[in-house]
Amino acid sequence: MTTIARAVTTPGEGGIGSRLGREVNATFAIAWREVLRAIKSPSSLVFTVIFPVIFMGVLGGSIAQNLGSALPYAYLPYMLIGMVANTLYQGTIVGVTNLVEERENDLTAELFVAPISRYAVLLGKIVGSGLASLISLVGVVAMIVVMQIPMDLGDLLRVVALAPILALAGGALGVFFIGFVQDPKTAGAGVALLVFPQIFLSGALIPTAASTGILGVLAKLMPMTYSIDLARNIFYAGKPEAALAVLHPLWLDLAVTAAFFLAFTIVGTYLFVRTDRNR
Amino acid sequence: MHPMIQVEDLVKRYRKADRPAVDRISFAVDPGELFAFLGPNGAGKTTTISILTTTLAKTSGIVRIAGHDLDRQATEVRRRIGIIFQNPSVDAHLSGEENIRLHVALYGLWGYRPLYRAMPAAYRTRIEELAAVVGLADEVFRPMRTYSGGMKRKLEIIRSLMHRPGVLFLDEPTSGLDPVSRASLWQYLRGVRTDDDTTIFLTTHYLEEAEEADRVCVIDHGRIATIGTPAELKAELLERTVVLDAADRPALAAELRALGLDARPDDDGRLHVAYAGPTAQALMARIRTPLTVLRVHEPSLEEAYVELLRTSAARAGVAPQDAQEAAA
Repeated sequence: MTTIARAVTTPGEGGIGSRLGREVNATFAIAWREVLRAIKSPSSLVFTVIFPVIFMGVLGGSIAQNLGSALPYAYLPYMLIGMVANTLYQGTIVGVTNLVEERENDLTAELFVAPISRYAVLLGKIVGSGLASLISLVGVVAMIVVMQIPMDLGDLLRVVALAPILALAGGALGVFFIGFVQDPKTAGAGVALLVFPQIFLSGALIPTAASTGILGVLAKLMPMTYSIDLARNIFYAGKPEAALAVLHPLWLDLAVTAAFFLAFTIVGTYLFVRTDRNR
Repeated sequence: MHPMIQVEDLVKRYRKADRPAVDRISFAVDPGELFAFLGPNGAGKTTTISILTTTLAKTSGIVRIAGHDLDRQATEVRRRIGIIFQNPSVDAHLSGEENIRLHVALYGLWGYRPLYRAMPAAYRTRIEELAAVVGLADEVFRPMRTYSGGMKRKLEIIRSLMHRPGVLFLDEPTSGLDPVSRASLWQYLRGVRTDDDTTIFLTTHYLEEAEEADRVCVIDHGRIATIGTPAELKAELLERTVVLDAADRPALAAELRALGLDARPDDDGRLHVAYAGPTAQALMARIRTPLTVLRVHEPSLEEAYVELLRTSAARAGVAPQDAQEAAA
């Protein structure tokens, strides 16, 4: 580094002219960054793949062997769809809530001084985390083979096609969460509180149709309940066991998911931006 | 000529803080100016630079960057600034080039492509040019995890220059750089100023870097302690002196006393004599004792800075050594 010559290339020739175009481009770049981070982080990659294996293989397998015969429908496909939706939903929550740690470590400074809206940053994070969580489906698909779960590929693909909706729903909850939490340690513990009760109360793993009392109320309050049920609505559409395995009509699941998405995104983004700048 | 940075009565009071971190400061920076913003740790430098770069909300006051109001036109402000952060803001999971590719997408310079090879030739050329300039040509595609602190700093420099900002905020940009890299960076920044008329807002603890600033602003306890050219600050705060010695020291001391001059001996017994005027010529013409040592001492900005903090600490009732430590 002894010879200095001025760079002569003019940047941005053919640069993006419209504001919307710049926002979309930035959103895509931030999303792809999440995918790259997921691919280039072997430890988190292993964890995200092993997580569904443990839940499906160990917990789901035990439930299937001991309690599955009491259900009026096949438990393993029921559980599989729940875990596919759960994996996409929770993976996006975790990805979005990483913003708290990144902010603490100054990794987000680059994003927040860029001439793009905070919405582009958060949407990019949601989309990227959603795409990254698709990697976790490798573990889920592996369990289909290992546990010999009867599954039509078309049915599975229809559920996976819901990934954008599930990622947006999970991401919105993540945005809502980081609107309130600024401390990385609190965020780490808080995410566990956000994730695990929902796994058990939303019907991802354990049927909740017969839940009553406080558990019944909690099941109805869990945002993920409606995302999981949405996935099952798609999977069981036209099948005879649909009335038994699905909790709510499709329109209700869609409406509640959309309502949660809007409320969480608006409130969470407002709080996140406000707390970030108004220290 | 409209200022490139205009700050009027800026106040920032953090929640639950006893006193404002920044307390009614005002200054203006002209286009193309190198403006050094100095102060001890905790003086309010980072708070100010965070507000000017839109990452922190002010409590009150007016800030305009390139004529754009910080509150109402934050996006326009961000389009016109480049920043080198105090703590490198790079993603360790990505390669150096991937970090830069993200940056150019955020600034809308080029459409984002997932692969480097798919990026436009203009982007690839520019990154190669800048990487060569800062000495990262061989490492720019390596993972950030393998970068040293100095290499991360170089990458931030490349990144901040990709979009040719009108105002470049440099928050201690050369910390962690070796002397050769530091010199090269400054050579490059001089070129940026000359060719692009880039305004540079600099915070640094290396006061020799601030010597070449057009103006220096010192902030202490959230308030502007002084502002002016380095020469003005030195003239305002420090005496210019000549250092004299003679084989017959008592005779020299007696002559200086007879001339009504205040001569202060240093640890080696040499006499320091303050003089007024542009040169020491008039003073020297009056001295007849044969001299063995004659040295004109031009005070440095660092000396002026330390003196300023000492004075400020004395006024605030703080021990002088605390002020020195803060200045160190």
